[in-house]
Order: sequence, then structure tokens, then C-alpha cells
Amino acid sequence: MQIPQVECAMSKLNLFLLLFLLPFSLLAAQSSDGDPTKRQHRLESQTDHHSLLLAQSKPVSNRSVERDYDTFTSTRGGVEIVSSDGEFSATMGGRLLLDAAYYDEDKNSLGNGTEIRSARLDMEGRIFADIIYELSVDFADGDADMKDAWLAYDAYHPWRFILGHFKEPFSLEELTSRKHLTFMERALPNALVPGRNMGLGLQWHGEQVSVAAGLFGDDFNDDSDDEGDEGWGVSTRATYAPIASERSVLHFGASAAYRKLDDEEEYRVDIRPESHLTDVRYLDAGKIKQSRTLTLVGLETAWIYGETSLQAEWLASNLERDDDTDIEFSGWYVQASWFPTGESRHYKHQQARFGRVKPLSELGALELALRYSTLDLTDQDVEGGSSDQITVGVNWYYKPQMRFMMNYSLVKNDRYADADGDLENEDEPKILQLRAQVDF
Amino acid sequence: MKISLFCLLILFVVAPSHAATDQKDTLVLGKISHNPKKHYQYLKPMAKYVIDRMADLGIDKIKIRLAKSKEHLADLLKQGEVDWVTETPIAAAYLHEVAGAEILLRKWKKGVAEYHTVFFSLSGNGIDHLQDLKGKVIALEDPASTSAFYAPASELITQGMKLVRLNSARDKPPADSVGFVFSREEINIATLVHKGVVDAGAFSSDDWIKEDHLPVKYRKDFKIFHRTPDLVRALEIVRQDLEPEIRQRLTEILLDSNDNPAAAHVLRAYQRTMKFDRLSEDQKKSVYNLRIMIKRVDQAVAW
Repeated sequence: MQIPQVECAMSKLNLFLLLFLLPFSLLAAQSSDGDPTKRQHRLESQTDHHSLLLAQSKPVSNRSVERDYDTFTSTRGGVEIVSSDGEFSATMGGRLLLDAAYYDEDKNSLGNGTEIRSARLDMEGRIFADIIYELSVDFADGDADMKDAWLAYDAYHPWRFILGHFKEPFSLEELTSRKHLTFMERALPNALVPGRNMGLGLQWHGEQVSVAAGLFGDDFNDDSDDEGDEGWGVSTRATYAPIASERSVLHFGASAAYRKLDDEEEYRVDIRPESHLTDVRYLDAGKIKQSRTLTLVGLETAWIYGETSLQAEWLASNLERDDDTDIEFSGWYVQASWFPTGESRHYKHQQARFGRVKPLSELGALELALRYSTLDLTDQDVEGGSSDQITVGVNWYYKPQMRFMMNYSLVKNDRYADADGDLENEDEPKILQLRAQVDF
Repeated sequence: MKISLFCLLILFVVAPSHAATDQKDTLVLGKISHNPKKHYQYLKPMAKYVIDRMADLGIDKIKIRLAKSKEHLADLLKQGEVDWVTETPIAAAYLHEVAGAEILLRKWKKGVAEYHTVFFSLSGNGIDHLQDLKGKVIALEDPASTSAFYAPASELITQGMKLVRLNSARDKPPADSVGFVFSREEINIATLVHKGVVDAGAFSSDDWIKEDHLPVKYRKDFKIFHRTPDLVRALEIVRQDLEPEIRQRLTEILLDSNDNPAAAHVLRAYQRTMKFDRLSEDQKKSVYNLRIMIKRVDQAVAW
């Protein structure tokens, strides 16, 4: 007598389970597609299908693309991890730049010595296919100095939208990583470029053309003492490379930037004599008060023919003051380099800047270089000084990621180049600098 | 009760599997990769371009699948986890033999439809024919290279010559054999030949004109003493059971990209592809027959 009751109970249970599981089964079918039209189509086809369940059953799909966590791991000193679908990746690396400098002093003390020029850790990567990021911090001064800290949206190649703390698009030399500069320090006119600031930007590149523009606030750690508003600015750079092949490049570029200064309305520009170890800044325009806006323009060109290269830039600034008296500064440099061992400078056409030199032989690559640079920070009542500098450089690239550099510079300062009155003017020191560099 | 239990079981198993089977809305583009970060960047624009033109087929997602080896990619093709592959002819021949993959189109990778291997040596060193390599040493790239290993090795074997792998470039082979060494990179091949450490080198005709693989100052001291027949530069291939309408659409999209201004940046990113075109059945067969060449070389070298 109990058996029919049990069967009845089980039938009810089966019916309940059937009704309970049906919506889940349908839900599983729907969840694979968010399109309502397709969902409806699938529901209809599923109803038809269920009526033929016993007559035909399709093989189970075994695609596992959504749940594959296999990764590639590699190292070239740092660590690179990439998911097998490429949508996630992380690269951890860094750099170490060790400097020594000897100053053949003339009138002022510059301070021979050694320093860690850069001790940086970098993390960059990609998440969810379309988001890329970079975070790099330099510890050379014993403190954490934030460098690049940005994220970018990379879904619409070759467009890229970038947000964070990064270099404003201005100047070929500024945008070339220090790791890949021909000389140990950037040329004197680099004092005028905006450098890194908080902002958002848009970048685009073709085979021979690149364009970048951005809207920027101040550097992320700048804060007006009086709680006034930050300054803001826009900058843009366009480049054209009619020749951009291996070992043969002709590059032209122009940059422009406009900046509304912060509420303190104070502008200051100064620079060391292309040597970072000394704290002396012969060229120093001091605090230029009641300044409203700053306009910058830059022109750049580079030419590579095999082992030989030339590079030059001209930069100028116009500072508008409250009394409508504009202050104008300008400077330029030209440099040449030659690899007797046969290598060529590497031009990255997408970013329109220079990259890593790879030695052709196991003995490494040798590069000889010469640069002349000049900057004038004197105009009207502002007497920041003018300086000319000639530098001879010898670089030995022992490995693609390791090089040794030697720079010897002749400095010639004018009568206003006195570190805003703190030093003797018309100083003409000679500078010998050495660097060991590794990046990983 | 048995019937309802059976129905329940079937419903439980088949309904979700029906959903999964019907979930053919993802196309998967695969490639063998030793540099996945770089390869993802050049595959991604093409993947996006293609998928934007397949929505009416119910394909609205695309994934990229990078494989660590040709064996791994063959498994993925067999399992139906990869639909479309962009690869070299050597890889295409392997994937055809092992996984049944089929050639869709030829890819003019880096602007080139075909390429060949050049044998070169220092001018005036007395090597003017392949036969002159007996008892000499030739530098090749690595055991996976098409143009700088399989093609030149096959050419030497075809000429009836024995190949001997040497541990060092300074070792000497038997007088009746050609010694070969792997130097990992094209520039190393050129440097070894230029320094006279080895007697000859071989790599692709592309590398011959590529400055960072063969600097002018080396090239002007070299002479080419033999060239192999042309080989297809690169191929688009698909798994053999890919749905015909998807295969057809993919073919149309890629061929249309040749003249579509919207595809210009996509083709550029896609290994600087100039265009895609169809291969004749004979041309496809000659690609598939590369497996014979590979097996012959592997047997002759006896790894």
C-alpha cells in the first residue's frame, strides 16, 4: 500500500523539479546572449528543440575560450606575464642609472661626486582587453617620486584615450625616454617644455603621421599655498615622417602649448648645465610674478641614414604678464651621432620618438656624438641669463639593456647667467660625466 | 515515473548543452606566439574589424587565442576552440596534416606574397655553388625557422648532400658533409659569415634587404650563390569544420579589406599586410606538401 504513495510523491517531486529546472535551463540559454531579438529566437528554437529532445541531441560544445587561464611568462630581466587570450598582461621592470661627475671649475663650485640618477620601478599592463595602464615610481632621491601614472582606453586602434599623470605631447627629446637619449641629460632648451602633468589626452598615429593633444592641470603634487585654483593648459604635437624605414628616417614635428597659470600667477624657469649631479642652475629667471599665461612652440627634426643621425629642435616661450609686457625665451640644439660599429638609432614611428639601440655584435655597439645647445632666459627686465654648451658623447651599448656613457661638456655662460644673483657670472666650467645604465 | 525521471534527466543535460551548442557567437583567432604581448596588439585590430562585419551571422564576439607551440594550436583546432589562424606556410602544412586545417587565403605579410632563401658567402672565398659547401660550415637561424633552416636544409639534401650539426661554428664537418650551426638571429648569421668564422649563411630574401639583419657594410662584401624556389610568405587558415557561411564571410571580409580605406590601419597593424588573395588548388597542395620537406629534413638531420 505504501508503494503507490511513494510513486505519487515522487511523481509530484519530479514534476516540481521539472518545473523548477525548466526556467534555469531557459535562463542558461538566454544568458549567453544579451540581444533580446536573439533571445526570443533562441527561446522559440528551444521550444521546438524540446519537443524533439529524444529524436535528436546536438553534441556538447567544448569551447573553453571563456575560462582559459593559461598564461605566458617570460623575462628579459623583468617579468612579463600575458594571458593566452592576450586580454590581460603585466610587465614589471625598472631601471638603474648610476652617475659620476667631475667639474673642471672656473669661478663657482659645482661639487664633484656620484649619485643615483634614476632608480625606477615600472609596472605596465593590460586589463579586460581595452584598458592599458602604467605606473612608475623613481626612488633615486630616497623618496618616492611619481613618474607615469596613467590608464588608457585602447579599443579603437590607432586611437588612444589616456588619462592620468603623463608627459604632455611636446618635444621629441622630452618624449624620448631617458633610457634611450644619446646624451646623459637633455639639452638646455628642455627647460621650457611642460613635462608631466595630470591630464587627459588623445593620441593617433598612422604609418608616417602622428598627432597627440591633451588638456592638463598642474603636476599631481602641486598645490597652491593659498588654496587658489590650479593652472591648466592644452598642448599638442604633430609629426610627419616622409621616410620611416629601418635605418633610414626623416622626421619633422611641431608642438604647441598654452597654459593659464595658477592663482599665484608666478612663473619660474631654471636649468642645470646639462649635468644633474650639481645643484647649480646658472640659468634662472627667478620668480616672474603677475604672469597670466604661457604659450610654447617647438619645432623638431631628425634624420637617420644608417649609422649616422642628426637631430635638432627649436623651442620658444611667450609669457604674458598682467601689465601686458610679454617675456620671450628661446633656445635650440643640434646634435649628430655616428655608430662606427654599424648600428643605427631606432626610430619608433608610432610614437614618433627614439627607442632602444641593439648592438650588432657581442662586443656591443659604440656611438660617438656631438651636441651644441643654447638657451636664452633674458628678456626685458628678466635677467635669467644665456648659456651655450658643447658636449661630446661616447656611448658603449654593451647589451641592448645595458650601456655606459661618457659626456664631456664645455659651458659658456653670459653675464646674466648667475643663478638669479647667487653665483658669479660668465662662468665657463668644463664637465666630465660618466654613467652606467641598466634597465630590465 | 521512469518516463518523467528520464525526461527530467534529458532536460537537465540537454537544455543547457543546447544553449552551449547554440552559443556559436564567438569567433576565435589563433596564432603560435613567442611574443604574446606584441602579437595580441597586431591581432586585435583585425579581430575587431572582422567581427563588426559578422553580426548578421550571429557572431558578435571574437577572442584571440595564443598558443605556445604548433602542437598546442593543432589541439585547439581539433577541439574546435580556434576557428581561424594566421601563420607561416610551414605551420599551415603542419596544422593541415595534424588538425585538418585548410588554407583560406594568402596573406601578403610585410607587403610580400612570396619569398625565398638566399645562400650567401664572402665574395671571393671560392664558394660559387651548393656543391662547394662540402666540408664547409653554414650558419642557419634556429630549428623552427622556415627560410633559415628547413628551406636551405631541404635544398642541400635535394642536391644529395649530407648535413651534420656542429656544436661550434669553429668545428669542422667530415669532407663529404655540410656542417651547420644555429646562431639564433639573422644578424648573427651575417656576422659569422663576415668574420669568416663560417663559410656561408642562409636566410630569407626579406632579411637580405633588411638593414638590421644585414647591414649594408656587410652586404657589400657578400655574394648570393644560390636561391631556393619561392615560398608563400604567410597564410590565413581555418579549421576544417568551420561553418561554411562563416568561412565564406571571413573570406569576403578579408578580400574586401584590400580596397577598403577603413581597413588600412588594420592591415598595417596586421604585420603590415598589403593584401589577401586566393591560392589555386595546386598552390595549396604545394604548401601542404611542405610537410614532406620537413619530414625529410628532420629524418636527414636525425635530431
